[in-house]
Amino acid sequence: MAQKLQVHVKLNGREQSAEIEPRLLLVHLIRDVLGLTGTHVGCDTSNCGACTVLLDGRPIKSCTCFAVQADGHEILTIEGMMRDGQLHPLQQGFHEEHGLQCGFCTPGMILSAYALLQHNPSPSEEEIRWGISGNLCRCTGYQNIVCAIQNAAGKMRQKEAAA
Amino acid sequence: MIVKTSPEIGGLGHSVKRKEDLRLIQGKGNFVDDVRLPGMVYGHVVRSPFAHARLKGIDIANALKTPGVMAVITGEDLAKAGLAWMPTLFHDKQMVLATGKVLFQAQEVAFVVAEDRYSAADGAEAVEVDYEELPVLVDPHRSLDPDAPILREDREEKSNHIFHWEVGGREETEREFQQAPVKARVDAVFQRCHPAPLETCGCVADFNPATGKLTVWLTSQAPHAHRTLFAIVGGIPENNIRVISPDIGGGFGNKVPIYPGYVCAVVASLKLGRPVKWIETRSENLQSTGFARDYHMTAEIAADRDGKVKALRVKTLADHGAFNAAAQPSKFPAGLFSVCTGSYDFEKAFCEVDGVYTNKAPGGIAYRCSFRVTEAAYLIERAMDVLAHELKADPAELRLKNFIPADKFPYQSPLGWSYDSGNYAGAMHRALEMAGYRELRQEQAARRAHGELMGIGISSFTEIVGAGPAHTFDIAGIKMFDSCEIRVHPTGKAIARFGTKSQGQGHETAFGQIVAQELGIPVADITVEEGDTDTAPYGLGTYASRSTPTAGAAGAMAARKIRDKAKKIAAYLLEASEEDLEWEPGKFSVKGVPGKAKTIQEIAFAAYTNIPPGLEAGLEAVHYYDPPNLTFPFGTYICVVDIDKGTGEVKVRRFVAVDDCGNIINPMIVEGQIHGGLTEGLAIAFMQLISYDENGNVQGGNFMDYLVPTAVETPHWETDKTCTPSPHHPFGAKGVGESPNVGSPAAFVNAVVDALAHLGVTHIDMPVTPWKVWRILKEKGVVN
Amino acid sequence: MAVRIEKKFQVKEAIDQAWTLLRDPRNVAGCIPGAQITEAVDEQTFHGIVSVKVGPALANYKGELHVDRRDDAAHEIEFTGKGLDVKGRGSASMKMTGRLSSLPEGGTEVATVAEVNVVGILAQFGGRMINDVSDVMFKEFVKRFEEKLREDPAAPGTPEAAAPADGIKIVSAAMKGAIRRMVHGMPEESQ
Repeated sequence: MAQKLQVHVKLNGREQSAEIEPRLLLVHLIRDVLGLTGTHVGCDTSNCGACTVLLDGRPIKSCTCFAVQADGHEILTIEGMMRDGQLHPLQQGFHEEHGLQCGFCTPGMILSAYALLQHNPSPSEEEIRWGISGNLCRCTGYQNIVCAIQNAAGKMRQKEAAA
Repeated sequence: MIVKTSPEIGGLGHSVKRKEDLRLIQGKGNFVDDVRLPGMVYGHVVRSPFAHARLKGIDIANALKTPGVMAVITGEDLAKAGLAWMPTLFHDKQMVLATGKVLFQAQEVAFVVAEDRYSAADGAEAVEVDYEELPVLVDPHRSLDPDAPILREDREEKSNHIFHWEVGGREETEREFQQAPVKARVDAVFQRCHPAPLETCGCVADFNPATGKLTVWLTSQAPHAHRTLFAIVGGIPENNIRVISPDIGGGFGNKVPIYPGYVCAVVASLKLGRPVKWIETRSENLQSTGFARDYHMTAEIAADRDGKVKALRVKTLADHGAFNAAAQPSKFPAGLFSVCTGSYDFEKAFCEVDGVYTNKAPGGIAYRCSFRVTEAAYLIERAMDVLAHELKADPAELRLKNFIPADKFPYQSPLGWSYDSGNYAGAMHRALEMAGYRELRQEQAARRAHGELMGIGISSFTEIVGAGPAHTFDIAGIKMFDSCEIRVHPTGKAIARFGTKSQGQGHETAFGQIVAQELGIPVADITVEEGDTDTAPYGLGTYASRSTPTAGAAGAMAARKIRDKAKKIAAYLLEASEEDLEWEPGKFSVKGVPGKAKTIQEIAFAAYTNIPPGLEAGLEAVHYYDPPNLTFPFGTYICVVDIDKGTGEVKVRRFVAVDDCGNIINPMIVEGQIHGGLTEGLAIAFMQLISYDENGNVQGGNFMDYLVPTAVETPHWETDKTCTPSPHHPFGAKGVGESPNVGSPAAFVNAVVDALAHLGVTHIDMPVTPWKVWRILKEKGVVN
Repeated sequence: MAVRIEKKFQVKEAIDQAWTLLRDPRNVAGCIPGAQITEAVDEQTFHGIVSVKVGPALANYKGELHVDRRDDAAHEIEFTGKGLDVKGRGSASMKMTGRLSSLPEGGTEVATVAEVNVVGILAQFGGRMINDVSDVMFKEFVKRFEEKLREDPAAPGTPEAAAPADGIKIVSAAMKGAIRRMVHGMPEESQ
């Protein structure tokens, strides 16, 4: 068994550290070691995107990243989307537009959508579909997810304009 | 007649936003892999690389020496406890862990338990298995050859033939064919595919030696049935078993069977006295759990020269893999496949199905369908198009000519089903209108003249769901009723528990709406629970679109029992007689005396504080509902495609879906179900296949090869509805979750064939990949 | 899953020199990365192992090599190899024909045709990788064959401990080949 290493990450704004094996995947660090189970595992070939988190603001598949690679970096998971006890407009949008059914793809989907909107606050439907093409969903057929993201984008633009 | 309640009450017909969303959008769902218990350890399955081989020996010495490994269970260990084999859900048995031989690639051979996931995988790597390869059988058409290897040495009859089943009139159908001026035939394969819910299967088995109780968190669509089976198979008293199905990340039928991994985890927990978690990987899910379809079908239609259909003849070969683990009602080896006369008024019909074994993963049912109805609907809809092509008739016109007329319901089909209600022409006309069918045909003619390939495909399917009446339906002996228990609290809030188990269908909201409709209690005040066998009343679970027809009905009936008692309490409180009271959602009032009324909340309070003499306290009821019949949702789908000649890629330009599921509880939820089901139908039609090479190596055993559509491939779905209530359901509902997956594959394939019909193409088997289409174009000289 | 692989390469040495090397399976095995003959049962039959290492995981195929036909006059050899993974991960078999012909300008052309069959988990991924992996392994084989020819072509091959074929190196090289083909649309030339 390999020697254990210390990793330090800033998870949803909080400093966390753990002693782990070098081969531990980031998704397992987040779920099993640090106890945030909102990020899910849906496949073993890096295809489904259920494990999507943001690493220093960029969406990555946490199943295809070692925990040690995240050492010293910032991670945002679904649990970090609420601010001051308020649901993020994306979370609101998914609820209002029925953008989830079983909910398993939802955390990863929301994180990908968040990254998309950071980049492109007014995406077209085509841009949204490309933007979430790394996240598989078996339940919704994506149509309401697109509506959810458009709903959120609208609210976020309004907030920006008001600010 | 459904009385519409206020939005605050949120009864039937309201698009109430979902309660289950709140935890799921925060990542605070409780899926099986989220369950963490003190002292929990992990299991990992060792699997066979060979499709057919003798198991000469298993050496676990190195595995046991692997750091972190606590135990290794083999088939021999299980055999000592009589658990090496377990019954399947369909008159067969399957190996839990292999003894003697292995029968499919990825079959379970040993179970390693370790302190953590990674050590368990290390241990599994260190298990050494000695195999002797045997000849492999992967072609079901060869299963019955005299020189085919006999796969199941455990069966008395040494043959690969599982069953022969037939229904209808063979001779009278034959006579129709002999005198029919027009005959059409299609040989259609519904390929082996897999439901692939985003959450794979798994469990946490927690045996507490101090209490003797076994708790199993399980990805189960039918927790009660699983509890009973664990009790019977495992010899554990049923009152000492608790199955909890928490949040489930999609089921689609994949989570109905009991898998060897569950049994091994339970055995390991019993042995170690600690919670054992087993979560399969995606590859394991695709390669070993309940697959779908693999039906090799032939349909023949006999018709007169005007295109009026007379008789249908169907012959099917069913490939069940190594064990018949199909999850379906026990009297129906081919499920409800005999609904293959579809929406059409055939006078005579005959259908026969033969099931065979092959060296492939066991099963044969799942993937968002009512038992084999996808196969049946696909077959008849393809056959009707082949007939249309034969007669040079318009496919919409041909269907309209042959639909069971609206006044012929309840309709007795020649294969034994009594369709409750239907208005097929109504759905068809609505779809044609939405699509602009006439204009589309004109456009197609124009494009064709320019050498462009545009196709229009129609599917007018009939579903058969809501299994089912006790006189005919049981699974492994348990009758297919379902149940609801409602309890109203003193402050007028309520809790309702059901025997079904949602995996995303929104029961926490929709089933609350049923109770809200019947009692007038606001849906926000009603908690709905499912999935914990210690508290929920016994039910057969959620699959085959049965929940609303059975458990939903039970909910309405239980609520009506409560309303009956509430009326007595109201009469007492109002000092009136029951006959003088009238009901509107939420209150009883005295006829003709405005203001003299009691709300359901006041009545509930009285049930605990001011109980009428002679009546028990409390306000609750339970109902076990035995449906008098199945229900028959239906619809018409129209698909428009354009084929790229350079790549063979089929682009779905438009898809119009008109569904009729009777009265609707929550239109928003129904629409979401339609979107999802159509997307799964798209996947099946164009991109999904689990195949095996000549050595039994599975191709399509991971998400690199087994494709799931992303938001990019998925088109925009145009949906609408008609409403033909079910006459026998308490609130006229039929269920709808699977209709889109049942009706859409034929719409997609019919569209592609339609685009190529002028070249002489009459059928293409799914998945219709760009490669297949391009090869046809090359063959027909359309491209070089 | 059966894959047919045809390869040709040329060496400077004369046909008799090349044949002396090729006609003895022990020499051929010595040139295949990770392969080793462990025992000669008789003139035609040999036991051997092929080790493939992918990262920390080691797969050991143990099996038999049988010379089906050897024609010294025509410079042709045909043999069959079949191995079972010792831990039970799968099996692989191969039927190969090797033929030499003299080149007009001097030197020898070596032509091989192999039918490879892989069973097991590798075969699930193998479909897309077998051709590319065998390309890379073949390049390595050619290199070692040429080296052996230059060293001491007359000496019979001695079984030497073979370092396991490094699967990761092979797989990444194979992937590079596949990517290059996709980008440039041209097959990798074999030397």
